[in-house]
Amino acid sequence: MRVTDKIISAIDRKLERFDPLWQAEHGVGGQRSRYRDKTGVAKWREWRGVKDTFYDYTQWLNNLVSMAGMVASAPVPILKGFWEYRWMGSYLGTFLFIDRLFEGYRGEELRIAHMNMHAIVQSLTKRIAFILANDRRFGGGSETDNCIPHDETITPLFLKGFKGLHPIPLQTLPEFIICDIDQHIEPYYIDVAESFGLPADVCSRCAAETGVALDDAFPLLGRVMLSTNMPCNASESTSMFQRRRIGLPDNPITLAMQHQNPEAIPYSRKELENALAFVEEHYGVKYDWDELFKYARLMNEQNTIELEKWDLFKTPYSPLSGIAESLYRLYSWQSVNGQDEYFNRVDRRVIEIMRRCYEEKYRPFGGRTRHRAFLWGPSAVYYTDFPTWTQNCWGITIVLNMDSTMGYNMIDTTDPDKAMDDLTAFTQRACMRHHAVGGWENINAVWDWARSFNCDMVLMNDNIACNGMLGVHAMMEEQARELGFHFIFIEHDLQDSRTVSRQDMRNCVNNYMSVVLNEKPLDPTIVEFDDSEAY
Amino acid sequence: MGKIVVFLLKMLGKLALAALILFVATFTLYITNAENKLIYYVVRPFLNRHYDAQVRDRRIV
Repeated sequence: MRVTDKIISAIDRKLERFDPLWQAEHGVGGQRSRYRDKTGVAKWREWRGVKDTFYDYTQWLNNLVSMAGMVASAPVPILKGFWEYRWMGSYLGTFLFIDRLFEGYRGEELRIAHMNMHAIVQSLTKRIAFILANDRRFGGGSETDNCIPHDETITPLFLKGFKGLHPIPLQTLPEFIICDIDQHIEPYYIDVAESFGLPADVCSRCAAETGVALDDAFPLLGRVMLSTNMPCNASESTSMFQRRRIGLPDNPITLAMQHQNPEAIPYSRKELENALAFVEEHYGVKYDWDELFKYARLMNEQNTIELEKWDLFKTPYSPLSGIAESLYRLYSWQSVNGQDEYFNRVDRRVIEIMRRCYEEKYRPFGGRTRHRAFLWGPSAVYYTDFPTWTQNCWGITIVLNMDSTMGYNMIDTTDPDKAMDDLTAFTQRACMRHHAVGGWENINAVWDWARSFNCDMVLMNDNIACNGMLGVHAMMEEQARELGFHFIFIEHDLQDSRTVSRQDMRNCVNNYMSVVLNEKPLDPTIVEFDDSEAY
Repeated sequence: MGKIVVFLLKMLGKLALAALILFVATFTLYITNAENKLIYYVVRPFLNRHYDAQVRDRRIV
């Protein structure tokens, strides 16, 4: 043992009583002990031992530098953005969000989680600066007319064949990402929509998007917009409100609902081709397949690595799981979609660590995992940091989330005709769509996923305002019993935490674990607590 | 030659001191969660008051 290791080990022993994992193990506290009641603001940051605390600190600095870079790159538009858009204020909660997500993380889990999270932070900060610098509400910029605003569930990759144009997922900044960071932001926009008479029993995501449109809180960019029917009927509705309020020429990309059916491909392909023709007409540019192939190769590499990750997820030795896996895949697939090589570099580093951990039979989370769960959960799992909580409280590792199983087919990078078919299949399997819409077999696939990833448990989020999924509740319960899975329905109202609170969601798991399985929590301080005023 | 070495050593010393001060300052900020407390208790309430006072042009078309 080297001298430095001995010193670090001595300090760790001296300070271990401040480590929440040690406190919970010895019955003298836990993760919640350092929090102020309700607020989610910790009195001090988590002590993880010398090495891991120092690593966490360096990554905090790393993210801070990215945020400073964002402000420095476009100071006036950023300040105007903070002043104009309520959702911009919510991005100030990012540090609290990251701290919450990685509570209890140590060693390789922490390293991979931060690599993934920094990829998101560096990408998002650049994107915020770019969008605000070109927002027409603030006078626009040199690239304003070269942006193609499109629905967040449309994959931007197929638009990358237009050299010099920038696909911008319109809802990503004011709704899609920020609802994960701040539970209080979307209820404001939901109220705006409902004050116009929108019923309160529709999907809160779509209600929130409508509220953003009515509140004039979408950045204005581009010459046209591409809306879509994805993922569901409520999305169609909000697309209509958005196109009316934003007022740009719109091409609705209405992809086939029965998207697993091979006969859907020609229909959906035509929709994408129409969208490309629409962009060519309005921007006066020609589609360049070589340009597209450049980005498709990056996406293919990401998906190749993703499939290898899946093989490693099936073992007990994967240091990547839970929120670090799910949120990264969600952002890197749906939002980045092969456009940023930084994500490929991160994936290469992460898979190296995962391979090494597998060879060394590394046990993540200190070997405290009791159950392996497949999660069927949307954004309500992020603002509640749900996978982190299930791990810390009950030892339930979220092996994979439904969001991670979006389009993983490869895209041909030589033949435009084959590539178009591949892009169609890829685009149809978008976020929230692959599993919740388009036929019973898509929902029913949860059992196959859970089985193939060696899970003994399925956590299924039950969006109480999702008309499509409400009807399957009882059938899923029946199937779980027949197939022998531990199965927990977690009720939530997606982005409206007033209807079903975070604690109400946690209680769904608490009740099952204590009443049905008669298990004791790993950390009693986080079984029941009030974080209603937390971001 | 000696003067250059002394100058370089002084420079290095100053750089090391600056790095140490920067580390102590940022690490204190980090471990006390100070930036989050400032944001939660001061910055966001200020911004929220501003957002609540905004007059928005809310229309469907």
